[in-house]
Formats: sequence, structure tokens, C-alpha cells
Amino acid sequence: MADKARGEEGLLGRLLALFLATFTISATANSGYAIIAVMRDDFVNKRKWFTEEEMNDYIAIVQSCPGPMAVTSSMIVGYQSAGFLGSMAAVLGVITPPFAVMAIVTLFYQAIVSNPYVDIFMRGMQMGVVAMLLDICIGLFRDATKKSIVYPLVIMVLSFLYVRLTSFSIMWLAFGCGAIGAVKALLIKKEVEAND
Amino acid sequence: MIDVALLLHIFLTFVKIGAIAFGGAYAAIPLVEQGVVEGAGFMEYSEFADLIALDEITPGPILINSATFVGMKVAGVPGGIAATLGCILVPCIVAITLLFLFRKYKETTLVQSTVLTLKCMALALIASTMVKLATNALVPDVTHVDLVHVGYVMAIMCVAFYLMHWKKLSPLPVMLGCGVLNVVVNMLLGV
Repeated sequence: MADKARGEEGLLGRLLALFLATFTISATANSGYAIIAVMRDDFVNKRKWFTEEEMNDYIAIVQSCPGPMAVTSSMIVGYQSAGFLGSMAAVLGVITPPFAVMAIVTLFYQAIVSNPYVDIFMRGMQMGVVAMLLDICIGLFRDATKKSIVYPLVIMVLSFLYVRLTSFSIMWLAFGCGAIGAVKALLIKKEVEAND
Repeated sequence: MIDVALLLHIFLTFVKIGAIAFGGAYAAIPLVEQGVVEGAGFMEYSEFADLIALDEITPGPILINSATFVGMKVAGVPGGIAATLGCILVPCIVAITLLFLFRKYKETTLVQSTVLTLKCMALALIASTMVKLATNALVPDVTHVDLVHVGYVMAIMCVAFYLMHWKKLSPLPVMLGCGVLNVVVNMLLGV
């Protein structure tokens, strides 16, 4: 899918598109989830570089990595779109704006922090972020429950409770989920063999 | 004169922070605190509190913002660059490794089942952040529930969701629109 589409635009065009996309998103959005939502809109709906399903696979991978989601998702989406250079372009795009803004803001931060309108604007953005997260959740839910519904639902509820009720690291949750998935695959395999 | 030993110290401090920064933006703050204030002693606690306020109002990932701020305070622009590169090093390596494994073995039951489970986990993590943000937006002050405010925020969220989910608008303009709308409404009503 991605390989086929790669021929239609030049490599440079892709690199530029990746850089500009991650640059713009990083310059305006405050969260890693926003970057995923915008990437989905740009690369899946408009440019059709990947399918919705592939994007959902990447979201699952990104959630299992440490570090800023914006960076890891840029790395992965960049690589899938234009190879190693693509991931470099995307990561560079994502880290440049915060670096530049932070360098400037460090000098003037008192004036910015005490401006009430900045706070009200941020609060308004937060409402949009909630809606966007819901949109992502629905997409992931549809995708994860395509084959069966009970197993995904159990994992979702347990993971949700883990995050909300305990203060253990997400790292253990990621390892645990990986292990459960692997064990389930082995059980399925045994069952198939037993039936044969 | 650039102090190479200091830059290396900054770089390694943030390599460590980046390697264990699981769980998104909110999880990163205590790690930076631990590594920078208590561990390396790069800054005082009061400076760190300023950093949190700055993170709230600046775009971009919190970890990158923090790295730039701390690095610049300690060793100027080279320090900022060293810290930023440090905190993304391990995440980038892990991401590309997982992607390779995924691409190579994606047809196997093992990987399909693992990725499905991780997808469910991802959904739970995102939903958890959503609940946190929604509660914060609907009831900013737990001692006093303002129903008009709840209705107003709900309305904006619903419209934003409608525009993104059914009208397939790009999320960015919708979010910026929500911010602008909130400023306008607050100005009209007079805060």
C-alpha cells in the first residue's frame, strides 16, 4: 500500500510534506494525541499514504514506546512514508518549533504566564482536545473489535482501571499487554494444532 | 568556550529521562523533576515550577519543552540542543525497532495478537486522558459545580466532535476555533 503510493510523488516532495506537516502540528498543538489526529487526517484522509487500519497499528506501536508521542509517531510515520530520511525530516519538523518557541519564551515568560487571555484560550482548546480524543477512541474501538468483542473489551477495561486507579508505570502495562497478546497467540496456535 | 563535559552530562541526564518516559505528557513532568532537580541538581525547585507553567502554555511535547528550557538555563543554546537530542534518542531507537519487528512479522498470529492487545491498551490510555481533561474542563472547581458552565462546555465539545467525526474537518482548526470562541465568549460576558 505505502510502497505503491510512494512512486506517485517525488521523494523530496514527500520529505517536504512530512517536515511541513509535523512542523505545523508541533507549532500549534500541545499534545501528542493532537499530532496523531492531525497525521491521520493529513496522511490517511487527504494524501492516502496509509489506510486507517495501518495508522491504528502505528498508534498501538507508539503507545508502547517511551518518550514524547509526537516524536515517536513522527519517526514511524516518516519511515513508512519515505524511509529513514522521512523519519529524520518528520522528527526534525516536530522538534524545531518547541525548541525555537521555548528559547524565546524563556526570555519573556513572566509577561506570558500572567496574561489572562492566554489561559482562557488554552481552556477553550482543551474542549476541542476532548472531542478529538473521543474521535480517536471511536476509530480505535471499531478497529480493535472487528473480529471479536469480548477479549478487546476486557483488555480495554483492565488497562483503563490500571491507569486510573494505580500509580504504577505505564511501562509495566505495555509489557503486560504485550505478554498477554503473545500468550493468547500461542493458545490459539495450540488449539488449531489440536483440531488438526 | 563550550564546556563539553557539561554538555555530555546534560545529554546523558536527558537520555535517562527519555528512556523511561512512558505514559505521555503528564507522566513526564515528575521524571524531569527527579532527574533535573533532585538528580543532577541543574535547577532549584522554584525554577522548575516556572517550567511547568511554561509547558502549559507553549506548543509541542512537554518533554521537549522541558529539555530545551533546562538545557538553555544550564548551558545556553548548545545545552538546549544537547538536552533535546538526549531525550529523543532512546524513544526513536525503540520506535524504529518496534516498527521493523512489526513489518517483518505482521502476518504472524503472535504479532497480530500482540498489536491487537496494545491497541486496546492505547485506547484505554487515550480514554483516561480524555476523562481527565473533560472533568477538568467541565468542573474546574470541585467545590462549586456551575451548571451553566457545564452546559456551555458540553455544547462546545459536542459541536467540535460533530465537526471532526461527521464533517471530517481537520482537528487543528477545530481546536484553535474552540480556543478563539472561548476568548470571544469570555470577552462578551466580561470576565
